[in-house]
Amino acid sequence: MKSKSLQELVKKIFGDEKTKSQFMANPDSVLSRFDLTEQEKKAVLNIHAKLGLVTTDSQQLEATIDPTANWFSPTL
Amino acid sequence: MWQERQAELLREEMEAFLAPLSDATGLYNLLKESLNKDIQRLSNESGHSHYWPLLPLIVCEAISGRCEHAIPAAATLQLIKAAAEVFDDIEDADSSESLSTIYGSAVATNVATTLLILAEKGITRLKGKGVEDYIIVYVMDTINSFYTTASVGQHLDLSRIPGIAVSEDAYLETVGMKSASTVECACCTGALLATANQELIDTFVLFGHNLGMAAQIANDVLGITSGSDIMKSRITLPIIYALTQTGGKARNKLESAFGKQPESKPDTVQIRDLLFRSGAIHYATIKMEFYKQQALAILLEAEEAGVNVKRLKLFLE
Repeated sequence: MKSKSLQELVKKIFGDEKTKSQFMANPDSVLSRFDLTEQEKKAVLNIHAKLGLVTTDSQQLEATIDPTANWFSPTL
Repeated sequence: MWQERQAELLREEMEAFLAPLSDATGLYNLLKESLNKDIQRLSNESGHSHYWPLLPLIVCEAISGRCEHAIPAAATLQLIKAAAEVFDDIEDADSSESLSTIYGSAVATNVATTLLILAEKGITRLKGKGVEDYIIVYVMDTINSFYTTASVGQHLDLSRIPGIAVSEDAYLETVGMKSASTVECACCTGALLATANQELIDTFVLFGHNLGMAAQIANDVLGITSGSDIMKSRITLPIIYALTQTGGKARNKLESAFGKQPESKPDTVQIRDLLFRSGAIHYATIKMEFYKQQALAILLEAEEAGVNVKRLKLFLE
């Protein structure tokens, strides 16, 4: 299931400094500008709270990645 | 600990599955070797609380309070998983430690085929657990149906033209068939051995789907952070996002790493950095969390229907 709004939100946060600052200061306000479902909003906020959406680096992410990541053979 | 008890029951059941071949020492040892990684994982205290082949036991117990009925089914899925991994290694031919590299593809094919036959044979052990014949047939049909779907997903994946990025929808559909269907199967099997309530069984199929999708996307993210998918030019969710949402030099760089004729040694650090800066990794991570949220919502609904979901929630933590 593709979410165009979710793609637009991430593109805006990572491509526009002003939106990035606004998101860091008040994520809910930025989220309200996009047509996201409640579960999409919750997913964005959870990841932001857990990893710091716009500041995470590779090592930080790898250290916290879901233990289910090794369930499947990495052939895809 | 309950996880240790379930892991021990599953290990014992797998031994019983292999027992008819214990005199055929050479083959028996290769079968054990192909299962070793999973057996070690079952022995690893920290590993098995998130180990999907235990899901039939956990789901069955969540609904009915007893996991014994589901043990042969869980062992069957474990053997099918091991067979699929041997076949995958034969197809990919990219692991120096695989059975096919060490013993050759003919021997590996025979080992994988034997695992599948033993898996199918093992389902009949449900009879010894007091499961009625019509339910045993239902379990066999369910497992074969889900793994037919997984095979179709695998075929779609293998049929992809290298370097041509698929749409996100097509990608999610393929991973849903290829990967998530196996977790759906584990949950469905556990549920139908515990209840005749079709609505509840369907609830657990949906839970398994969302859990499986989250696990596959977590695998995609790890493939980028570890660099392995960049080295192998694998087009996964973060790459699909980046190829559609970036332009200019960034896109050119990605196309040279993941296009029709990818660089033989891409700069993994540079590509990884690009994927972080574009938000591609974060997009995939959010999608993973989205599927986990959906799985959690399904569990909460099941909880309201009287299912004890405490242990299943561990998979979402």
